[in-house]
Amino acid sequence: MKRLTDELSLEGQPGAFAGSLMNSSADLVARAASGDQEAFRLIFERYSRPVISFIYDLVSDRDLAEELAQETFVRAFRSLAARRQETKLSTWLFGIAKNVARESLRARARDQRHGDLADGTVLDLSDREPVPVNQLLNKELNELIQNSLALLDEDKRMVFTLKVFQQCSYQEIADITGFSIPKLKTDLHRARTEMRRRIGPYVRVES
Amino acid sequence: MKCDDCLKLLEEYLDGETAARDAARVSAHLVTCAACAREFEALTAEQEVYARYDRDLHVSPAMWQAIAGRTAESRSIESGSRLGLAAWLGALFATPRYAFAGAAAVLLLAVVVGVMFLRARTGEQPRPESVARGDSPLVQSPVTSAPKLPPRVDGTARPVGFKSSDNVVSKARPPGSGPVFQPDKSGVLFTDAAYADIEDKETAHHVAQAESLLRSVRDLEVSDDDDEVDVSYEKAESRRLLNENVVLRRDAEMAGKFPVKKLLGELEPFLIDIANLPDKTTSTDLRVIKERVQKTEIVAALRIY
Repeated sequence: MKRLTDELSLEGQPGAFAGSLMNSSADLVARAASGDQEAFRLIFERYSRPVISFIYDLVSDRDLAEELAQETFVRAFRSLAARRQETKLSTWLFGIAKNVARESLRARARDQRHGDLADGTVLDLSDREPVPVNQLLNKELNELIQNSLALLDEDKRMVFTLKVFQQCSYQEIADITGFSIPKLKTDLHRARTEMRRRIGPYVRVES
Repeated sequence: MKCDDCLKLLEEYLDGETAARDAARVSAHLVTCAACAREFEALTAEQEVYARYDRDLHVSPAMWQAIAGRTAESRSIESGSRLGLAAWLGALFATPRYAFAGAAAVLLLAVVVGVMFLRARTGEQPRPESVARGDSPLVQSPVTSAPKLPPRVDGTARPVGFKSSDNVVSKARPPGSGPVFQPDKSGVLFTDAAYADIEDKETAHHVAQAESLLRSVRDLEVSDDDDEVDVSYEKAESRRLLNENVVLRRDAEMAGKFPVKKLLGELEPFLIDIANLPDKTTSTDLRVIKERVQKTEIVAALRIY
């Protein structure tokens, strides 16, 4: 592990293990808040993929997700100094991402340009019997999951993606969304049930 | 426990979020009830389906460039508004070729303003006490008109004629000394190889932590006399590692690193079991896990990684 420690040491702070890459990023946050661009870049490097994935699951639009992820990190940078120390960095970033995505969804709803999300069309596999997941092409499976996700309502979609794809704990989901634990448990259960109902006809889940 | 009660708790159990007492009851029920065990396996298999979801998203270097540009902009606006004239003067005097000319210009400006000020003051009625003391307004006026300044930190008096602008230059920071963001010009930021490297390091770190956890569980000393054993730390650590494990296992699968995926897949049931233990578990439950850890030699497998 020494080699790993050395390789991940942060510039100017040999002891500041960026193994922080795995755990808390308090050191990175402190340095980024004081203007260390490299520290902020490491934060971006660490969290950009989960953040953009989370946003994409909410807005179902690749270009928009990238744009909103940018906005998320810019807002994060501007409010780094005000961040509460006890909040986990990923939770805090997901919280900002949620706000940014929600604002965008609201604006899109106002513009009446959200036909894609409301459209219940799922991949046309209806002439098939359910097939084992291993036999389904990746593209088909991805479209199936993406379309099924898009049909969930906003709260359920958010809770589902945070739990199932981002592996957040219930408490973290509550912190990110502002939902109570009982509500998010109910939403999560219903989301799982709906997803199962939509995916089940096409994919045979084999244990 | 009845099947209905067990089924209600299965998702929470899978998520490692069941209350300690319920987790113990669900574990016990799953051992004895084939129908509920099948449900649990189906839920686990469903997770595997979701783990295959690939959004095909890429984080391009352009994205960081855009963020770096916007953050640099906001910082320069912020520091600009904070420093204002001070920064401008600081930058002026920090450049040797302009330093002399700048100093001369400021001096000339100060003289002109001073003369204009004094001329204006000579038109005013002199203060009675100044007249009585015979002070010359040429010396007195600037001092009496200067704003009150706080005493020096070291308690020494400020020099006569000290003006607030005297400390402007000393406060000003030369360009580049402050934490001003610059857009990244390094070109390439995140290649797939770079990500793969990070993932490998994350996995190595994760495996090392998991090995340490399992070893500590395996080596816990339990006697039949113990009514309960406090495993709250191991439980919390296991929950954290469980979340990481799912992500890393999925990443390994997506990257085609099947030996890594297999290893993490073998590790996961142990993490689930420990995560679902009550904070104070019975020696019997703990012994079951300890024996499984020893029997499967998962610690050795993790160490080899």
